[in-house]
Amino acid sequence: PIPHKGLWRPGRSPGRAAAAAAPPPGGASPGARSPFDRRLKRKQKNWAALRPRPAECEYLRDEVGGGVADRVLDIPRTFPLALDLGSGRGHIARHLSREVIEKLVRVDIAENVFKGTVESEIPTVSVVADEEFLPFKEDTFDLVVSSLSLHWVNDLPKAFREIHQVLKPDGVFIGAMFGGDTLYELRCSLQLAELEREGGFSPHVSPFVAVSDLGHLLSRAGFNTLTVDTDEIQVNYPGLFEVMEDLQGMGESNCSWNRKPLLHRDTMLAAAAIYQEMYGNSDGSVPATFQIFYMIGWKFHESQAKPAQRGSATVSLGDLAKIDKLLHQK
Amino acid sequence: MSGRGVWLRARARLRRFPALLAGCGEQASAYGRCVAAASAGSAELRRDVCLREFQALRECFARAVGPGSCLRGARVGRGPAAALTRFPLQAAAAK
Repeated sequence: PIPHKGLWRPGRSPGRAAAAAAPPPGGASPGARSPFDRRLKRKQKNWAALRPRPAECEYLRDEVGGGVADRVLDIPRTFPLALDLGSGRGHIARHLSREVIEKLVRVDIAENVFKGTVESEIPTVSVVADEEFLPFKEDTFDLVVSSLSLHWVNDLPKAFREIHQVLKPDGVFIGAMFGGDTLYELRCSLQLAELEREGGFSPHVSPFVAVSDLGHLLSRAGFNTLTVDTDEIQVNYPGLFEVMEDLQGMGESNCSWNRKPLLHRDTMLAAAAIYQEMYGNSDGSVPATFQIFYMIGWKFHESQAKPAQRGSATVSLGDLAKIDKLLHQK
Repeated sequence: MSGRGVWLRARARLRRFPALLAGCGEQASAYGRCVAAASAGSAELRRDVCLREFQALRECFARAVGPGSCLRGARVGRGPAAALTRFPLQAAAAK
């Protein structure tokens, strides 16, 4: 039984969206337009969700989910209907109460994550769907949040357009994704090891969006009043193998089409030695950097503040030195 | 490579890596320093630039793994099947 019939976009019911996610049109073939194998990502996330203690590897998601929840709380409004895109086991909702969000729809590409969800007091509906093919009607949600799942999306401009479409006017999108320098230590160690051991290298860490591109993509999708800020989280691990093991446990293994399926034992040994020597901390542990981009974008509504008209200024910038006098005059 | 058994065995072997590597800190450090120096500035890192240091590291690693395992004397590219065929020959030689 499909609840809330009014939500669904005609021609894109959730069943069809899940089927479309399996071989998405244009996403099934490898290439520049679709760098990621979404079917494999779904398998990886399903596997990670069914591990005996999934909460062990979720410290990063909890932290970033808390960051997104903070930004939601900064907006003094109650959102009747919200969407959590790529929710995983639910890391944002656990920080929020019913006064902030009255009803929540969670979307994820892997169905197993819904089997062990984190407790939250907000009434929730779970939908299995791909972030690029949202099965919702236009102007449905007051709030869309997304934490650490958009970096695996093939067509990010399209995903942003879809998010913009399902938002109501005066709705807001608050997202967090990995970007820029994330895991640069791992990337460099593997690259140098492969160069030295095998004479060439192939990418093992997926490409991340740069902060300048993010701003452009959001405004191209139609969002107003953008805010993008970045946070850097450094997590220390015993060594390279533990980093890779935890990434796998988070469901963040590489799923690029151009990934090399085999990593030679010798290369891994070499990479572990390089990681330790080039980036190691004084206590023998190695750091792994995660750079998080938090973004906030609004959908246009007449009530929103607009940039002032040219020539409407009442005070000149040259009077800045006399600002005290001007304020007293008011 | 096919079959779940191979995959599980490979993962079990992999899980021992960190502990074994801990015992070879000196060789690992020497190799890491060599690579860092070779790739610093405008130098181009080429294949086997640090071969000696890496061989020292791998030998230390193989010693830590212990006798009778696939890692001993294994060269890059040799799969488990190649390592296993040695044992019947060794047994024949011992007779």
